[in-house]
Amino acid sequence: MEQNEVILQMVDICKAFDGNQALDHVNFELGAREIHGLLGGNGAGKTTLMNVLYGLYKQDSGDILLKGKKLRIASPRDAIRNGIGMVHQHFLQINNWSVVQNVVLGSSVQNKWTMNLAPEVAKLQKLCDRFAIDIDLQVEVGELPMGTRQKVEILKALYRGVDILILDEPTTNLTPQEVDALFVSLKVMVDEGLSIVFITHKLREVLSVCDRITLLRNGKNVTCMPRSEANEETLVRGMVGEDLNVKDSVIFSKEIREGTKIDEVVTPVLEVKGLRHVTEQGIERLKDVTFSIHPGEIFGIAGVAGNGQLELAETLVGVQSKAGGTIKYNGRELNMVTAELLQQGLTYIPEDRLGDGYLPKVNVAQNLILGAQHKQPYSKNGFIDWRKVFEASWEMIKEYNIKTSGPKDTAANLSGGNIQRVMIARAFSHVGDSLMLAHCPTRGLDIPSMDFVYKKLLARKMQGYATLLISEDLDELLLLCDRIGVMYRGELVGILHRSQFDKYEIGRMMSGVKS
Amino acid sequence: MDQILHEVAFFLKQMMLTMVPFILAAQGTMLAGRTGVFNVATEGIMLTTASVGFIIAFQSNSILLGMVAAMLVGGLFGLVMAYMTTSLKLNQFVIGLAFFFLGTGISTLIPKLIFGVSLVQPVIPTLQNLPIPLLSKIPFLGDIFFNQNILVYVSVLVSLLLYYFLYRTSFGLEMRSVGENPKMADSLGINVFRQRYVAIIIGCMLIGLAGVYLPMVYTGTFTEQITKGRGWLASALCFFGGWRPLPILYGSLFFAGIEVLAYRVQIGTSAIPYQFLIMLPYVATIVVMVLTFKRSTTPKFLGSNYDREKRTL
Repeated sequence: MEQNEVILQMVDICKAFDGNQALDHVNFELGAREIHGLLGGNGAGKTTLMNVLYGLYKQDSGDILLKGKKLRIASPRDAIRNGIGMVHQHFLQINNWSVVQNVVLGSSVQNKWTMNLAPEVAKLQKLCDRFAIDIDLQVEVGELPMGTRQKVEILKALYRGVDILILDEPTTNLTPQEVDALFVSLKVMVDEGLSIVFITHKLREVLSVCDRITLLRNGKNVTCMPRSEANEETLVRGMVGEDLNVKDSVIFSKEIREGTKIDEVVTPVLEVKGLRHVTEQGIERLKDVTFSIHPGEIFGIAGVAGNGQLELAETLVGVQSKAGGTIKYNGRELNMVTAELLQQGLTYIPEDRLGDGYLPKVNVAQNLILGAQHKQPYSKNGFIDWRKVFEASWEMIKEYNIKTSGPKDTAANLSGGNIQRVMIARAFSHVGDSLMLAHCPTRGLDIPSMDFVYKKLLARKMQGYATLLISEDLDELLLLCDRIGVMYRGELVGILHRSQFDKYEIGRMMSGVKS
Repeated sequence: MDQILHEVAFFLKQMMLTMVPFILAAQGTMLAGRTGVFNVATEGIMLTTASVGFIIAFQSNSILLGMVAAMLVGGLFGLVMAYMTTSLKLNQFVIGLAFFFLGTGISTLIPKLIFGVSLVQPVIPTLQNLPIPLLSKIPFLGDIFFNQNILVYVSVLVSLLLYYFLYRTSFGLEMRSVGENPKMADSLGINVFRQRYVAIIIGCMLIGLAGVYLPMVYTGTFTEQITKGRGWLASALCFFGGWRPLPILYGSLFFAGIEVLAYRVQIGTSAIPYQFLIMLPYVATIVVMVLTFKRSTTPKFLGSNYDREKRTL
């Protein structure tokens, strides 16, 4: 692509959180009508950098230059005033408000005192036509599918007349089809004169849509190059650094694995038949879910977040009660009491690590042994042997590369990625011999840690254990699973065997099309 | 027949009179709540403003000055509370409870300092009725609804204005968004802090007016614990009305009705103990909350402070 005028520069940006250097003299520049990929693993500082630009974080030092002029951005208001808009990874919308209300909120509308939004609707309709966005403006946001809700976020920014649009991991929660559609509309926006910052940790996306790529790792610049000079090898090396041997990794392995042959004679580890779950509010969240998992199998559940995955996980481990159907562990129907399941060798990695799996106010060691505290070697005659616990904790901290000052560190001091490592360490160190139920186990982990988890999961499989892997990352599922079941609105739309895996087919199923 | 009609008219008129402190205090608490700040100091603020407002009115011989003073003192409470919860990000409930006790203490301390201990209670003339021309001449209804003191009209008007403001103007939309999702509001350029400061201060001024109403209309003087838990009932009313101005208005009428009834029972001889009646509003609130828990309209971020740089994991 030809040399463009530079419209935005971020120079020597530094930002620390509680002594933790999140950004270390980072530089970034954006050209006019450019889609600039901001690439890096979790914890690389991509979102932090853009939050600084959007005024959500205040940098400790460094300058922001817009069209050569130094700019002070103290709040998102300043950012918007200067033509900078941001679409956050987790949509910031009010579910029971209409699309128009969500979009115009905070902007000055024409009829301030009557809220007659007709002029705004007309303006929005024009914008929608111009950028080829297809939305019904009067419906409540909560009723829309994820892909459309993202368009609402983009519309918010466009409505405010931004020239620079920041998209934070925009493809999370989109089906492959929706991702393609998003990329098309990004091109339209650039043709209309916008410049776009595209934050992602996915290589393929950067290579397919971006004009230029800036790579960050551990809060530092690694490289910046036009797409024409970029190739997968250099980007991978840049993203993971020296911590990972790419050749041995699972993530970047080129080897094609076959799915496990299922021996129908062997009793499945988990057998679910006609499972139903109804919430207290009377909403049916699981409808007639039927599947089974055999020894040595990794069974994946794919789907856009919020389609019943959480309810499935919690019903299976007994946290929520089922409204119908049967669940059998190793051929036996259990009473669905969590404690009993844990004794049967169930290991559970919950999705909401802070809410469901972590005690922030106690120390790291206690978090690491939680659930196994009454077992050997930690406990003797009903008393906890703290020396043993600390010894074991040190080992886990080392093996799982948890960044903490030691087992006595208060758990709340750890960063999100490290908290996830504690959870992983706990799950794999006290692993039961039956089923592991992992719900988004790699969320928030950097690439080497992700690869570590993948290796552990595959090793389990080799030992003949069964795993249920619920994930929103389709690539992760395609990489690891022997079979994938796709959920849509509480229903298991279909189950595909590894030989039938096809990203777009799964994408169709994720939007409700039955195979 | 005439006797009964007369009884009903008297009851309704009393009810209109009694609902005022409920309305003002609950709408004030509601307003702060809609931006996510749960003000649990309402009772304490009412006590202090009742005390200070009464003293100023007594010393200056001006009811109006007393009201203004009460609102200013309420606003001051609001300002400090906003600073502590919004700027210093201290726990709203701890601060609120501390303010409740502080307000209760101040309310009895100030009269002691100014009047000393005396046998003769200082008294102010109570608020006069302000009949509205023509409307007050409507037979039966006119006297009930349009021959009341000014704050009765003001409290209804405030409720209607708050409804219009919150649900029909863009400013109201912005204010509500802060309590529903402060992070979203912030990312759209809405000043979360300013919204909260404004809502808390105006809310506390309304609570101040509610406080001073008690000596000005009921007793003509300040007595210890004059609020009798009306501030706590205001919090209950907010939940009763789902933090919406109009249902709070209706709820106030209901709470007021029970209060009048309890008073009548207390002076008459009746099988129902009046303690049972004064318990009713709380019971009603719990029943309403149980019945509506499926579609709760409580602001999502009620009670939580907003910290922009806090990293959500």
